[in-house]
Amino acid sequence: MLDYLSFSVKNLSHHKVRSFLTLLGVIIGIMAVVSMISIGSGMKASLKEQLEQLGSDKIFIIPRLAYGTAATTLTDEDADAIERVAGVAFVSPLYSVAGDVGFRNERKIVKIYGIDPEKAEATFGGGASGYRLLKGRWLQRGDRYKVVIGYGVASDVFSRDVNVGNTLKIHGVNFDVVGVFKKTGDREKDYTIYTNLDTIREIFGAGDKVTMIIARIDKGADIDQVRLRVERRLEKRKGSKENFFVMTQKEIIERVGEAYRVVQVVFGGLAAVSLIVGAIGIANTMIMNVTERTREIGILKATGASNAQVMKIFLTDAAILGLVGGGIGVALGYLISLAINTAAARYLGEGVLTTSVSFELVLFALTFSLVIGVAAGLYPAYRALRLNPVEALRA
Amino acid sequence: MVIKLENVVKIYRLGKVEVPALRGINLEIPRGEYASLMGPSGSGKSTLMNLIGALDRPTSGKVYIDGTDIARLNDDQLALLRRKKIGFVFQQFNLINKLTALENVALPMWFSGISRSRRMRRAKELLELVGLGGRLHHKPSELSGGERQRVAIARALANDPEIILADEPTGNLDTVSGLAVIELLEELNKLGKTLVVVTHDVEFGKRARMRVKLRDGMIQDIEGINHA
Ligand SMILES: Nc1ncnc2c1ncn2[C@@H]1O[C@H](COP(=O)(O)OP(=O)(O)O)[C@@H](O)[C@H]1O
Ligand SMILES: [Mg+2]
Repeated sequence: MLDYLSFSVKNLSHHKVRSFLTLLGVIIGIMAVVSMISIGSGMKASLKEQLEQLGSDKIFIIPRLAYGTAATTLTDEDADAIERVAGVAFVSPLYSVAGDVGFRNERKIVKIYGIDPEKAEATFGGGASGYRLLKGRWLQRGDRYKVVIGYGVASDVFSRDVNVGNTLKIHGVNFDVVGVFKKTGDREKDYTIYTNLDTIREIFGAGDKVTMIIARIDKGADIDQVRLRVERRLEKRKGSKENFFVMTQKEIIERVGEAYRVVQVVFGGLAAVSLIVGAIGIANTMIMNVTERTREIGILKATGASNAQVMKIFLTDAAILGLVGGGIGVALGYLISLAINTAAARYLGEGVLTTSVSFELVLFALTFSLVIGVAAGLYPAYRALRLNPVEALRA
Repeated sequence: MVIKLENVVKIYRLGKVEVPALRGINLEIPRGEYASLMGPSGSGKSTLMNLIGALDRPTSGKVYIDGTDIARLNDDQLALLRRKKIGFVFQQFNLINKLTALENVALPMWFSGISRSRRMRRAKELLELVGLGGRLHHKPSELSGGERQRVAIARALANDPEIILADEPTGNLDTVSGLAVIELLEELNKLGKTLVVVTHDVEFGKRARMRVKLRDGMIQDIEGINHA
């Protein structure tokens, strides 16, 4: 075995350029595979994580907005009605709006969530959903013109950090910053300003409108049944089901999953293409290798090598190329995946896309390049072996 | 008889064209014989050598090497026979360029499953025997033609075969190194190896005890032996 290895190493190092080109083919193929699959699975993982944070015991009621209208038809009364549905424990209404926010002499458009602090806490169970205070305090019922801000708002939106005690001017009205959240990794959460529902609706003239109602069900209640009851209650109140959605986490995951499947197909397709490119790269050089070495096969046979021994020599070559190329490809693919992570964190926001190179992926990539290498070497070697030594020597 | 051919016919097929290279050869070469094979280019000398060397099978007829008809052997058995009984020396040396002289000589022993240390030791002895003790780690490209052919001869001896076949071993060499190669081969014959040499050179040919002349794929004449 060692002899086959050393013979192969001699052969591969003798044909440096050719070996390098083959390696390059393998490396590029495997690198592409690893980085594509890591992006695909990273997207899946971070999406899953975000959706799981929603909680499996919650029902989300959102208005179905006609294009071009910003008006929601859901109101506080709807929220109260939902709270009375059997199986619903707590309800948290939410009014969200993108408003202009001033800090010192800068003005930015920032997302603002108006909530009822106590209801939100009951619905989300305090520290649930990834929120943790970094500084200051959480909102209280009756707080007026007070905000708690996400980590991104505090550190990234304005050129100077916003701190507890600072004042933000929202839609022309001054608000005191009373708390800053720790980074959650979720861009949506980190770049949002949280304030009291009534205050923000007053400033934006939204009356008793809400843009989302989140209901937490009783422990042990059947979420699908509660969902149905909520939907029926709202339907009765609104006259039809046309203007709202009632969804559970499972349904949201299913809906997003459909969109995700498209992404998966795209990245899967790219990975498949790179697999094929890699395979062709290896096969091509192996064929070249064997064709060029027909004469050598003749010499080996004339000096007493059996077909099996010649075959082993060629397959060792192929296996080495496959494994070394695969190894380098995996390493580079891993680096690319890391680079994508860094870039994604910077430009898309923390946690939006965290690529991952799993042990299984590494194993798969190495096995793949080994198998492709050997398979690609098999056929041309087999063909060359069928020549008798005399014909091979004439090559 | 270590080599015995009966009615050997070899026809090459090039598409639809048939090229008869050997047309009924009967030949016996005793163990330990020194035979030369001569004849014009294209008369079938190499074809005959390839059959004796178990590199190819006849179209019809029988080729016995040490009593075994090679036409009955499968590829693996042929490889085994080549490995054990035949040492081949070619006009074009047929060394492997990326290997050193030592590694080239050790190659047949690798296929025989001899341990690395033993084959390296024997390869070194053989290279010393052919006068290349100072060229062990040279690659073929770093050797002269005569030196290369001596490496090839050392390689042919590696598995201690009974038969040494040399197809125009001096064809690519100048007169002086050609003569040295012939003398080296004769040395081996004196040590008991059956030696068959194909040559264009009449002077070299005459040195053999048994002289076979081929013409148009047939034996024209055999000298130096009482042939019934
Ligand atoms: N592999 C082959 N395919 C087709 N024709 C061949 C092949 N080898 C030899 N021949 C033909 O067979 C005849 C004998 O060739 P060869 O044995 O090489 O002659 P020599 O060695 O005496 O010059 C020639 O006509 C040659 O062209
Ligand atoms: Mg010839």
